[in-house]
Amino acid sequence: MSPLEIWLRSTYLSQMMHTWWAWPTAESLHFFGLSLLIGTVGLFDLRLLGFAKQIPLIALHRLIPWGIFGYCINVLTGLSFFVGEPDQYLYNPSFQIKMVFMSLAGVNVMLFYLTMFRRVRVLGPGDDAPLPARIIGGASLVFWIGVMTCGRLLTFFRPPAFHWCPWC
Amino acid sequence: MIHNVALLFDIFPFTGWIETTALSVWVRESPSLWAFPFVLILHTVGMGFLVGTNIALDLRVLGFAPRVPLSLFEKFFFVMKIAFFINAISGLLLLIAYPTKALTNPLFYLKLTLIAFGLAQTWMILNQVIRKPFVEMKGIPAKAKVVAATSLVVWAGGVTSGRLLAYTYKHLLAG
Repeated sequence: MSPLEIWLRSTYLSQMMHTWWAWPTAESLHFFGLSLLIGTVGLFDLRLLGFAKQIPLIALHRLIPWGIFGYCINVLTGLSFFVGEPDQYLYNPSFQIKMVFMSLAGVNVMLFYLTMFRRVRVLGPGDDAPLPARIIGGASLVFWIGVMTCGRLLTFFRPPAFHWCPWC
Repeated sequence: MIHNVALLFDIFPFTGWIETTALSVWVRESPSLWAFPFVLILHTVGMGFLVGTNIALDLRVLGFAPRVPLSLFEKFFFVMKIAFFINAISGLLLLIAYPTKALTNPLFYLKLTLIAFGLAQTWMILNQVIRKPFVEMKGIPAKAKVVAATSLVVWAGGVTSGRLLAYTYKHLLAG
């Protein structure tokens, strides 16, 4: 075990995650948070792509804070899983790829707000989003579905059966 | 022998038989990622879009994102329908893979009940709010807001009872 794993496992949070209720509760919250994210960001992405075009993008954007709320729930519950069983995630190829998708989704969000949001917020009913914004919307859907896919695949690529450690 | 108080007859011979069918064996035991893992992924992504779109609808009815025209929200019902279809099929495959595990767990029946309840509420909102042009001018009736708030709780309960199936089952297989 690496020093990081030893320290994480010694924390109060790690101990708590091994009570009978903590893990199932965090899992349930993680799936509800996921739904919040997909139901707001996912619908916004679909609108960027031209679906439900009569809805102004800026009107739909008012739901995004709920998606951020879901994201925060999932970061907190996700960290709890990681602290609870660090080795099950650190050396898991599915987790590593999930983090790649998370990073791509993060860069994608930054790109959107830095380059496209000013142009998108003024669009009215029936207006098409500019092509780069549409690409960002499509990429967002792909990345978040990638995150969910890798999240679900975690269980099938766990150590000790799998032990991926590119940095070791 | 009755294994479960929720059931009036012994389902083990029935679920045991399902477990021997080729489809059940394939979904459960195939080493291919296209078997059990893929079905599970479909069920999760479908859940995200089905529950997520319902949450967005409930939030809109409760007064958030007020500039989204209610009548246009019906467009997103298409997303719900596709997601529901994906989850009905993937859910059925998961049930065929592990029929004893699901059918001997009271939470499975709770989950199905909550989904039925949630869908009925969605249908109510569609007919009483989305498809009523006067609502846009007169405001959303308080009754509809109660339905939307309840709907959020019902979907959260559906997700939770579904997630807990992995932790609370009594029998994995009949055999």
